[in-house]
Amino acid sequence: MTTEQNPQIYSDATQAKGQAIIELTDVDKFFGDFQALADINMNVGLQEVIVVIGPSGSGKSTLIRCINRLEKHDRGTIVVDGIDLSDDIKNIQEIRRETGMVFQSFNLFPHLTVIDNITLAPRQVRHESKKDAEDNAMALLERVGIPEQARKFPGQLSGGQQQRVAIARSLAMKPKVMLFDEPTSALDPEMIKEVLDVMVELAEGGMTMIVVTHEMGFARAVADRVVFMSDGYIVEVGTPEHFFTNPQEDRTKLFLSQIL
Amino acid sequence: MTTTAPAPPQQSSLDWVKKNLFRNWWSGLITVVLLPLTLYVAYRALRFLFVTGQWDAVRVNLTLFMQGTFPRDEQWRLITQIMIFALAFGIGLGTNSAASRDRAEDAGLVVERGSVAGTLARMWSLVAFIALLLFFATTDDVGNFINPFLVVGGSMVIAGAGYQARRLPRRFRNVGWLLTMTFLVIGFQTVSGFDAGGWVPLGIVYGISVYSIAPVDRFDATWLRIALRLVGAGVVVLGIRAIYAVVDTPGIGWDEWSGLHLTLMVSAIAIVLAFPLGLLLALARRSTLPALRMMATAYIEVIRGVPLITLLFMGQFILGFMMPAGTLLSAITRAIAVMTFFSAAYIAEIVRGGLQALPKGQTEAGQAMGMAPPPIMRRIILPQALTAVIPAMVGQFISLFKDSSLLSIIAVLEFLGVRKIIHAQEAFRGVGIAETLVFVAIGYWAFAFAMSRESQRLERRLRVTR
Repeated sequence: MTTEQNPQIYSDATQAKGQAIIELTDVDKFFGDFQALADINMNVGLQEVIVVIGPSGSGKSTLIRCINRLEKHDRGTIVVDGIDLSDDIKNIQEIRRETGMVFQSFNLFPHLTVIDNITLAPRQVRHESKKDAEDNAMALLERVGIPEQARKFPGQLSGGQQQRVAIARSLAMKPKVMLFDEPTSALDPEMIKEVLDVMVELAEGGMTMIVVTHEMGFARAVADRVVFMSDGYIVEVGTPEHFFTNPQEDRTKLFLSQIL
Repeated sequence: MTTTAPAPPQQSSLDWVKKNLFRNWWSGLITVVLLPLTLYVAYRALRFLFVTGQWDAVRVNLTLFMQGTFPRDEQWRLITQIMIFALAFGIGLGTNSAASRDRAEDAGLVVERGSVAGTLARMWSLVAFIALLLFFATTDDVGNFINPFLVVGGSMVIAGAGYQARRLPRRFRNVGWLLTMTFLVIGFQTVSGFDAGGWVPLGIVYGISVYSIAPVDRFDATWLRIALRLVGAGVVVLGIRAIYAVVDTPGIGWDEWSGLHLTLMVSAIAIVLAFPLGLLLALARRSTLPALRMMATAYIEVIRGVPLITLLFMGQFILGFMMPAGTLLSAITRAIAVMTFFSAAYIAEIVRGGLQALPKGQTEAGQAMGMAPPPIMRRIILPQALTAVIPAMVGQFISLFKDSSLLSIIAVLEFLGVRKIIHAQEAFRGVGIAETLVFVAIGYWAFAFAMSRESQRLERRLRVTR
């Protein structure tokens, strides 16, 4: 039990380098009696890429969903870009505008075309003009490699294309942080790469990212730090080299042996 | 039933009979019993329609069925009104379908194209009803002939003409629904007269239009955007009020309406009013505010637990006592109010079903981008939820249309109630009772069936873009 409450420091990578943009302090989260997050302490630095791994039910998704208040944490503090996440709806909206999120099931709006999906929030929230929003949307579609699909409906696209639209949609709000909630888990194997490529490019462009994923190749190649969670606790934090070559905790070793 | 061969084997009609009517001994038995029975019933029905039926009660009173006791001198108002409504309907349908067709074609989807022949085929029940009207009317005087012919036939032609608005260039299409609304209100005013109260509906319609299309996007402050929109809408409403102050003439209200005209108008008015009310009730029932939620739930459950006829009686007898003295509402106004409040409860439950069927991720996607709850509801949730419940909604509209026949019990002379006057006439006392009933039944069926067919098509169309 001691290791659960006090995650050990195994490398100098536990703390974010430079200025922290997300700070979680002593965060607890309950679903009824079930503790989904326990004593979470974590910093994310500017332009850092964090990959969160762990068995299902370990609280990975809950962790990032608490950061933009899709779930409400019960104890502790969450600070995003200097804004303290409180019950104040203005605070919440402000944080949500600075954090983009990509979902496992894409969650595109099926009644809108691709370009309308992307321009909806900028038009509604940032009150961009139609032309500006559409120019920006086309540039983003260009960037994720599917400008020719702009006038189609989500139902006409493949899973990989849909997820790339979802990424473009998030980026249209010009967020400072991107949260990815198992972005490739619902995809057919041949489409995973096209989505990961976009994410790699995004990381190389200096985007701050927290990625919940089972793609160990992505973690190894892109992550600055890997966070291993189990039963709501952060069990181990370290650089990818540390993580995949020299894990310390038994549960980390067990998990890695099961998936690698 | 699995024919996987490239070309299905040719079937002779004898094969078809064998396969479908005499598959085994008991299906053969059912055929042997039911086939003669069906033929016999059909024979009796046709014989009644064309040989034994005493249709004079219908034939002589055709105008009464159509427009009831509305003053004959003013019947041009009714005809003009129906024409204007038909035009509004056509324009609205035309611009709307063109917009969704263009979107679908931009997306590279194949869209089913409508045609006049196709529309008539889809509406065959209405076409048959018109044929029936003409069949009855031609043998009688010209006045009776002109009435159903003008009203039903003419309005179809005009609706078709209005539908051509779909050929408008894209950028002009936004005025389509403005035109629709204008004609709807003007059509209403044609009958009720352009009296002083007429500016209210027109003002509201244009106020909302101006509010929603006001180009205020460049301002950042929400309160400023809302304020500018309100000012624009207010100016328009006052302007229309000023125009009406000039053209004020006394008119003829809906208290004079009756017959099929009243049936159609009551249903249409109740539908138009009940829809937004039901929408608000559904949202209130899902609200996070307990007081609002409980009130909406109580309203819906009480209304749904009481028969419509009871509510109609209560509307007639109790509402009068509850209103302050001097504000006596007419029987028709009260009936429309009751129909509206009744339907709203059912529509609320239908909409709630649609809201619940949407995956939570749709809301979350909007939230995650920092959208506020109202735009999430308006732009993401409602368009999907309402599309999903179109069949149930049209079903509710059809039953509202048929339930309007209950008004005959509270002494309102709608399509069914007109029979009371007819059979009070010397010539038709106890004569042709079955015939007038059958005629009314065919009339209801023609409209209800057409609505149901149209909803199926609408559903298909909207699903194209899924």
